[in-house]
Amino acid sequence: MLTIGQKFPSFSKTAVVSIEKGKEFETLTSDYLVNDDNVWTVMFWWPKDFTFVCPTEIAEFNKNFTEFRDRDARLIGASTDSEFVHAAWRRDHDDLRDLKFPMLADTSKSLAEDLGILEPTEKIAYRATFIVDPQGIIRWVSVNDLSVGRNVKEVLRVLDGLQTDELCPCNWEKGQETLTV
Amino acid sequence: MNESTEIISEILTAIGVDTAYRTESLTLLEEGESRYLRDLKLNFNSTLTSEHLSNKECGLLGLSTAINNNNKPLTQFFTRYAEEQGANAADVAEAAGCTSLLAANNVFYRFRHFTQKEKYTQIPARIRMSLMMKPVTGKEFFELMSLAISAVNGCEMCVNAHEDSLIKLATTEERIFDAVRIASLVTAMGKVVF
Repeated sequence: MLTIGQKFPSFSKTAVVSIEKGKEFETLTSDYLVNDDNVWTVMFWWPKDFTFVCPTEIAEFNKNFTEFRDRDARLIGASTDSEFVHAAWRRDHDDLRDLKFPMLADTSKSLAEDLGILEPTEKIAYRATFIVDPQGIIRWVSVNDLSVGRNVKEVLRVLDGLQTDELCPCNWEKGQETLTV
Repeated sequence: MNESTEIISEILTAIGVDTAYRTESLTLLEEGESRYLRDLKLNFNSTLTSEHLSNKECGLLGLSTAINNNNKPLTQFFTRYAEEQGANAADVAEAAGCTSLLAANNVFYRFRHFTQKEKYTQIPARIRMSLMMKPVTGKEFFELMSLAISAVNGCEMCVNAHEDSLIKLATTEERIFDAVRIASLVTAMGKVVF
């Protein structure tokens, strides 16, 4: 499994972005992971569409969408189901109809494979979460076994921690070079 | 009209405030026919231009000082002035943002500096400062505003740290000096017009 400090693998995948006819799909690529606009990426995976734990978790991420937006973080949900299964699930489930983030379809399982989060027997993704910085480097990974849901607040807490570098020169510490006071 | 009243009305006209406007302190200066009014007027006028700063930069420094000091008429005046001198909405917004963020940092880091306790430098500040990453007014000017505000707010280490970082960015001492000079004189005007 990929970990902190490693480059997020490149990919180009179809994602469901809407349930409106003709506007359902978009291609997401790893290109936008690296950007000058200081946008971070949070990608979270679940094992299978149309199961019980998943929609609760996905709805929870959706409820916190603005929290991610305010932190300049793009949220992407993903599983190894196809875009058509994603779209059907979204149409089918009350909590998923107005999702604000794309559902990525890793139908070939190549991205899950590259990330090393594929469960060996069923070949479905673990509940993995990745925080990727604007340079495309993985800065946080967390993975739960198939049956354990995630805590979205914890993801936000980690993101805050990663993003709040004390950039101000006021953050001058004892012993730091050449400040003569 | 005595001379004091005349100077006051010149000051108020320059700032774009009704000439009949009086604050308590302005009234005291007027009634005592204080000579200081002339100094005040000349000092304030000298904040609008500088050999080492563009007029737009003078305006933005005046604006950030006025905002820092919660001064409504001066905030309005310097917003207009900065815009007349070429500042766009993003520049003006950044002056406001920088001022607010620095107000937080001045309080917070001053506390760290005062106490000098290892423990407080180890706990992460958790203050978001993404504004500092890519300032629209430029890294150097953002530092200059930060320095000016830190000087007004009286944070010694912040002042030294920003001054140091400006020197490393090859800013001249004259330019730094003028920025702080503007901040001090806008603060002075704010004591009588607010």
